[in-house]
Amino acid sequence: MKAISATGIHFTYNDGTEALAGIDFHVEEGEFVAILGSNGSGKTTLINLLVGLLRAKSGEIRIGGRAIGELAAEELYQRVGLVFQNPNDQLFAATVEEDCAFGPRNLNLPEEVVQRRVAEALAAVAALPLRGRAIHHLSFGEQKRVSLAGVMAMRPSVLILDEPTAGLDPAGEAQMMQLLKKLNREEGLTVILATHSVDMLPLFANRIYVLGGGRILQEGPSEDIFCHQEMIDRAKLRLPYISRLMYEMKRHDGVPIDGLPLTIGEAREQILDLIPKELIIPGIAEIGP
Amino acid sequence: MFELFSDIFTYRDNALARIDPRVKLAVALAALVAVVTAQGIVLPLAVLGLCLGTVAGLRIPARLIAVRLAAPLSVVAVLVVLQTFLTGTTPLFYFAIAGWEFTAKAEGLSRGMLLGARVLGAVSAVFLLSVVTPAHRIFQALRRFGLSRNWLEIAVLMYRYVFVLMESAADLAAAQKLRLGYTTKGRALRSFTALAGATILHSLEQAGRTHNAMRLRGYRGTMPFGPLPALGRKDRMILAFCLAGIASARLLEWGALR
Repeated sequence: MKAISATGIHFTYNDGTEALAGIDFHVEEGEFVAILGSNGSGKTTLINLLVGLLRAKSGEIRIGGRAIGELAAEELYQRVGLVFQNPNDQLFAATVEEDCAFGPRNLNLPEEVVQRRVAEALAAVAALPLRGRAIHHLSFGEQKRVSLAGVMAMRPSVLILDEPTAGLDPAGEAQMMQLLKKLNREEGLTVILATHSVDMLPLFANRIYVLGGGRILQEGPSEDIFCHQEMIDRAKLRLPYISRLMYEMKRHDGVPIDGLPLTIGEAREQILDLIPKELIIPGIAEIGP
Repeated sequence: MFELFSDIFTYRDNALARIDPRVKLAVALAALVAVVTAQGIVLPLAVLGLCLGTVAGLRIPARLIAVRLAAPLSVVAVLVVLQTFLTGTTPLFYFAIAGWEFTAKAEGLSRGMLLGARVLGAVSAVFLLSVVTPAHRIFQALRRFGLSRNWLEIAVLMYRYVFVLMESAADLAAAQKLRLGYTTKGRALRSFTALAGATILHSLEQAGRTHNAMRLRGYRGTMPFGPLPALGRKDRMILAFCLAGIASARLLEWGALR
């Protein structure tokens, strides 16, 4: 069943800027889908339409099979949750606990249920020890995780994240992506993330939509997306660094590589296949200068 | 400026921090009433001494105390000077500047000192409350004292976003400084005006984004607040003891002055 289905979506801002020009976007339940696009490609506009913050000029958006307009706010936001790019935009309470309890309390749930949801949401993002802390005393990475917990406490079946790794250091970025993978694979949450960071997507996303100039330029699994160099250039994106290295080795040095590896693991396997077995010294832990 | 708003000390664990915020708020309010209605300077100065002694005992840095008390101290200085020279009839001393004669009067001085002592006593009570209770706990307690939910909601959001906007303003100020925005008085004035304008714009944009985030989590015009637990026996005893102490001190002062 489709978790989210958007057909023929057009959206133009009041100043006349056409942000989306006929978008078709569909996500199945339990999928991990990425919306990939450069700045100004229409990612955030699409996300805002999917959660009802904006209304499409034309086209239809269905959430769990029902038209978005038919859903009351309470029902809609228990189905779809949005995590903003900047955690300061959505962490408005004084403490972590108060912020996570905001949504469940708005649903008029009994206090013990509210507390249980807060504990579970914080545990899911490994932020339980932060429960009593003041929001403004948290690091940026902690704020990102707590903002995710605040949305998780609403128990949405679809989680939409706008640039979830923006501003995080490499360790924080990997931790956030692993967390989203866990929520998707273990909790069964449908995850949609908008990003222009290409390096991690092949490891996590089932499908990728490439957005450019308000249109879908390409849609499919990572292997199908990153083999279209010309389309990637048109979208003002780039290949993952490891793919770029292999692409250049193939093009300039004639290294016989099949396809284009998208992850370090795939690239390693292909390189190992090219090296004669007798030249490989097993157990090397350090490489000298 | 950051020291003025820093609340890092309120999260330290100590005996006062563990007391229920409603008890601390009630005691602080009682102390405020006692100080403001005091007829002599002894009670307000005793409250000042007690509060500052407690604050020092909690190892709050002297710099923070000085920064927070700077504004009320200047108010007190102005009060004492104005009262001394503008009210009363019994001359104490006089001096002349550029043909203008200023005469200090005994009644004015004692009234100025009383008003000053009241201000300092009241401020020190609030200061002590602010270093042992996080703001959100004070807001929680204020609910029990009948403050409207709308006011509370505004207070909570202001408290949260004052730190965000201060950070944003500090970044902008640093960017201006790095481009020589504060090298002359004229430039400083222009830079500061631009900074104030940009901060207002940032706050408006921030408000819009925050409102959207609140809507997405079911906000319908009223921020929900969690329930307050019943007061424990220990807290009730502390409340009764403190209120009795403050009432006794006030009555003693009243009796002594009669």
